Parts: sequence; structure tokens; C-alpha cells
Amino acid sequence: MTSKFHYDLIALVIFAIVIAFGVPALMNYDGFELNTFARYLALAIASMALALSWGTAGLLNLGQAATFGMGSYAMAMHLKLRASDGLPDFMGWNNVSELPLIWVPFESLAFTLLAGLLIPAFIGGLTAVFMFRARIAGVFVAIITLAFLVAFQLLVINQQGMTGGQNGLTGLAQLSLPGWTVDPYSTGFYYLVAGCLTVALAIGVYLTHSKFGLILRAIREDADRTRFFGYNVATYQTAIFCLSAALAGWAGMLYTMVLEFASPTYMGVSFSLAIVIWCAVGGRESVIAAALGAIIVNMLEGRLSDVFVEGWHLMLGVIFVLVVMFMPRGIYGVITETAKRLHHPKRRHRKTDLQSSSTKQLETGQES
Amino acid sequence: MKRRDFLGGVGAVGTASVLSAPSLLTTAGRAMAQGNDIPVGLLFSLTGAVAVVESTLHNAALMAIEEINAAGGVHGRKLRPIIEDPASDPATYADRARRLMIRDKCVSVFGSYTSSSRQAVLPVTEQRKNLYWYPTLYEGRECSRNVMYGGAVPNQQQDVLVPWLVENFGPRFFMIGNNYVYPKEENNYCKSLLSELGGEVVSEEYVPMGHSDFSSVINRIRSEKPDVIFATVVGDSDVAFARQYHAAELDPEKMPVFSLTRSEVEVKAIGGEAAAGHFSSAPYFMGHKSPENEKFVEAYKSRYGGDQVTHFVSEAAYFQVYQFKAALEKLDPANITPEAIRDAAVGLKLKAPQGEILIDENLHTHLWPKIGQWQSNGQAEVLIQSEERVAPKPYAAYEGQTCTGEGLVKA
Repeated sequence: MTSKFHYDLIALVIFAIVIAFGVPALMNYDGFELNTFARYLALAIASMALALSWGTAGLLNLGQAATFGMGSYAMAMHLKLRASDGLPDFMGWNNVSELPLIWVPFESLAFTLLAGLLIPAFIGGLTAVFMFRARIAGVFVAIITLAFLVAFQLLVINQQGMTGGQNGLTGLAQLSLPGWTVDPYSTGFYYLVAGCLTVALAIGVYLTHSKFGLILRAIREDADRTRFFGYNVATYQTAIFCLSAALAGWAGMLYTMVLEFASPTYMGVSFSLAIVIWCAVGGRESVIAAALGAIIVNMLEGRLSDVFVEGWHLMLGVIFVLVVMFMPRGIYGVITETAKRLHHPKRRHRKTDLQSSSTKQLETGQES
Repeated sequence: MKRRDFLGGVGAVGTASVLSAPSLLTTAGRAMAQGNDIPVGLLFSLTGAVAVVESTLHNAALMAIEEINAAGGVHGRKLRPIIEDPASDPATYADRARRLMIRDKCVSVFGSYTSSSRQAVLPVTEQRKNLYWYPTLYEGRECSRNVMYGGAVPNQQQDVLVPWLVENFGPRFFMIGNNYVYPKEENNYCKSLLSELGGEVVSEEYVPMGHSDFSSVINRIRSEKPDVIFATVVGDSDVAFARQYHAAELDPEKMPVFSLTRSEVEVKAIGGEAAAGHFSSAPYFMGHKSPENEKFVEAYKSRYGGDQVTHFVSEAAYFQVYQFKAALEKLDPANITPEAIRDAAVGLKLKAPQGEILIDENLHTHLWPKIGQWQSNGQAEVLIQSEERVAPKPYAAYEGQTCTGEGLVKA
């Protein structure tokens, strides 16, 4: 346990050093490259947030994009108000004559930052309470969260007067913090995102190795047994769900700043599934691996589409299929297996408990 | 490499990906070097939801670029198209636009069909003072100094159409559109025209994007018996609407649909028989008779296949490249910047397939509105052609606001 904690700490430090010094140096501090990479880092937060609920607690949340979108819209609402004198333009087009009540507090930066974390956490918590009190588990969590995502996206698109509908929120100002106007092409902005990711990862690493994380893993392996030990399973599940939602909201806020607009496609099904893919490629058992997965897949996507305009989608698809077939635990699985074999060269390759249990889950389609 | 070739060469792609692995790691990509060429970006989705339409825009723009290069380029320099596939996703549009404008240093980017993708590209375009050539008809009410708008705005689609409708069909309008900004804005403008002409709106309905069940809408049309069905339904929804309208045996003779969005592409999907008898308003139809259009259609068909169609957006994607070329020719070859191209483009006249067009100082295009009636062969017969070129007024529905050469002016 503790030695594993040490490994994770070392990995975290190496990761932080690489994104803080290695990456910018490799990119010659070029504004465009840093901006592109900052986008990957923001997405990495969404991916590691999913790893917390999926990898640690076994709750596959297919609605991660909904909470990501909430954070993204919170930030966009603030920046839109900053960019417009009086009513935001799209409201005029939709015959809205007064600033809707829900928009008013977003004038304040402090409120926006809080709302970007707490609203996703609250909504995530609300769905979690209903699900986990009713002891819903396994594939049904995925279905319910997916349904929630679809409904939420429809709602956002339909409330055009408040959300900008299909076009989303565009024409945003740049965020102005005290003494600093955040230019998304600046090195400073890159460090802001990199710093956020590192903090998020530190929280994730700490949680997974705390007693809280241990109980979550126990719940993942056998919820009933954990319940009989006297733990309130639903409370633990709700807590990790809230936290994961808040982190996703955080990622969404940064994402809006990188791309300078918020779009309902950020809460689309395909985006949500993409997060699952990043998480799976990196390895859902480790938050660092999940973050790495997001960065690698997005970089690969960027480079592949650059070199092969014609077939990059197809190639990505093939890569994902290969990963699922030959690396079911993602990059993290490969690393731990290799490390194990190096330590015990004589022992035959053995599957870990986790893997056998997760394979069982895949086969039966549900968890205990 | 042609777009469809890759399916035949998956194995080759696999090998190629191994061979070119180093290029995956460098940031250089395929854009660098090649000396004297003029880099232009093509940003049309080749995959995803809007690929059906956008790939035709891509084809038309690429054809124009290659025609120009075959004729010797501009000032002896070739145009070098840098192709990106934003996969119908706004975030990917933003990402690829950055690549084209910042890294590849394109002096102009041609792209996109939907408003949401244009909006996604706008921040980087304005910040980097680049030039984005947008060929699609749109809702107006935008006045960027960094976008060249090649499609019609509401006043160019409706100023000829609506009075003609009231006179020839009657004053009772039934509005049906998808629930987003374009249909709402077109309907806003239509209502302001109707109030002057003494028309009335009997019903105004919006269905979600991609909606495909129109039975209740058709029932209401049946009971209301409007004179005019004013449609701003787009894409798959429009195809479903037209087919169900036909299946419900509503007679286009008695209750025709007038669409602002239905082009040859949609009609091809609807089927000629179901589309026949209904109308569209657009500045261009494939069946328009002019020497420029005959040349355009013939070149397009011989290049991409005899069953391909041209339409009012692909025509603009095509002529915008020629506008770009004409602007470049006016410039000193040593001093080509996006803003210089924009300034040179203003006031430029060009013989396009639809007629002689002109770029307004507000960067929108003066166009030739037409009304066409669809025939069972999938082509439109042009019934009405505007007698004069119509100037673009992107803020026509908003009193006191005008888009000028200095940007938006509020009175």
C-alpha cells in the first residue's frame, strides 16, 4: 500500500516536472503549440475525474460531459457578460429583454469560479443520491447517467434565450484576474492549466490512497460485503460522484478559456464517450494514467489528422480496438505488469484480482 | 490523394503510418517549406454529420484552386491548399483553424457550413487578423471585419420572394423551421416584411434539429390551410419533412412549400417526385442558364462524377476562391497579408455562375436572388430572377443598426 503510494507520488512529481518544464521547452514556448497542449491538459482533468469514479469506485459515469459542460458554461457566462455592455447579444435575437435571473450572479468572478465547481457537484450529487440510495449499480449507472446527459444537452439547446442554443456562447471576453488578463496563447495561461491539472492529480492520488479510497475499492469489489462491515455504501459513492463532477466542472471552465467559446457539443454523447476512451487507454485504476491517456489520445488525434487527413478517424478507431483487445487495463496495466515481471522474473504472468474481477464484469455485464 | 482512395488502401495506410512515425513526433507536419507557394486553408468537414454537404463545398473550393494553379497561379505563384478535416465538431473546428492560421500561416481559410462552426472559428480569426471565407447563407446580424460572407443574408433571400408570395399565393403564412438561430432570424425578418405587406402568420413552429416526425405539423397544416408554407427546415429534417408531406398527399398545387434552405443536395435525398412542385429561394440553382454556370457544372461533373450536383453553397465556395485570386492579383506580391487581401477584395466584381457579383464594403456579397420550382428530375426551373443585384443588409431586421466598412454602426 505505502510503497504503491510512493510510486504514485514519484510518478506525479515526474509528470508535473515534464508538463512544467519538458513540454514548454520542447515546444519552444510557441503560443500556438502551448495553447494546443493546454487544451489536452484541460481534457486530462476530465479524464482523471472519471478515473476517480470509474477506476476507484467502479461507477462508470457516461454523463461526465454534462458536468464538464456545466463548468464550461459557467465560465462562458461570466466571460460573455464581461464582453457585452448590457444584455448579451444572443438574448436580443431571441427576444429576451431582460437579463435572466440565473445569469445575474455570474457578473462576479468569485461566484463563477465557485459555481463552476459546486453546480456540477450538486447536480452530480443529486443524481447520485437517487441512484445509490436505490442501490443501482453496474451497467444501470451507465445507462442512467447517459440518459441524464442526453436530456441535459437537449435542455441546454432548447433554452436558446438563456444558453445560445445550438451555437453556444461565443464572442467571449478574456478572463481578467486581478492584475492579469488571461491570454490563451500565453505561457502564463499554459502554466495555469498545468498547475490546475497537477493540483487535481494530487487530490486524486491522495484520495485513492486514503482510507476513503480503500473503502471505495472495497465497494467496487463487493458492495454487499462492504455494507455488512457497516459502511454506508451510498454515502461513499455519492461523495466520489460529487467530487468527480466538480473536477469535471473545473476542466470545463479551463476548456472554455482555451477555446474561447462554449458549445453544446461539449455535453454531447460522443464527447462523453471520448472521455471514457481516454480513461481506458491510460488505465482507469490510476488518475495519473488516465490523465496521460487523455493527453496521448488527443495528441495522437492531432498528429494523425495532421499527417493523414484522409483516414485519421479510421486509424484512431483501429487503435482503440487494439488497445481494448490487447491492453484491457490500458497503459497503466502494461507498466505494472512489466514492473511485476521485472521484480519476479521467475513467476509466470498472473492476472491481478482487479483484472479478473473486471473481466468478469465485462462478461456478465454487471457488478455485484 | 483523392478522398475515397483510402478505403482501398487501408493496408498501405498501416505501413505508411509506421514509416512516417517520426513525423508524428515533430511539430513540422506537412505544411512547412515549399518556398514560393501561397498557403490557403480548406476547413470543411470530410467526416461526421455535415460531411454530406461540406464535402461538396470542399470539392468545389479545391476544384477552383486547382483550376487557378493549372492556369499558372497568381503572379506566377501557386496556391497551396492545406486541407484539414474538422469532423463536424465545433471544438475541432477551433483547433484546426488555429493550426491553419497560426502554425501554417495561411493567408486565408475557406470553410464551414453551419453557423456554430463559423462561431467556433471566429475568436482565432479575429485575434490573429486572418481572413475566413464563409460560403453559406446565414442569418445575418454579424459584422466581422475578418470574415468574407459569400452566401445570402435574410434580405437577399426574402426581399424578392415574400412580396411575390403575397401577390401570387396569398397573405396567410405558416412558418416551420428547426429550433435554432437561423430559422428564427429568417422568420423575424419575414414577419417584418409581412406587416408592411398586410400578411399574417397563422402559425410559427420550431422542431428540434434532426427531428424527423412531422405528422403533427402536417396535420396542423391540413387544418389551417395556409396560402404559403414558409420553411426553414435544414438537412435531414427537411428531407423527412418533404417526404412525409408528399406521403400525406398534400398537393403542391394547392399548398406549396417555399424553402429557404432546400438545395439540389436535399432534393437528391428527398427524391425528385416528392420534391416536385415545391419552391426554393436562392441566388443560384444548378439549372440556371449562364455560360459561367455551364462551365462550372461541366467541370464539377467531369471531375467528381456525373451524378453529382452543384448548389447555392458550393457555387459560393467556388466563386470565393476566384474572388480571393482576384484580390491577390491587385496586391503587391511581396506584401500579401490577410488584411491587405480583404481591403483589395472590397468592391471587386466577378462573373460568377449566378451572375456578376460584387463584394460590399461590409464584406458580404451582392447577389442575384432567384426563385426556382423543383421538377421531378431533381432540378429547379428558375421562375423568377431578380432584375437587379441585391445588396446585403445583415442587420435589415434591426432598425438603427447597419454593418458598414467600419464595422457595426448603431444609430
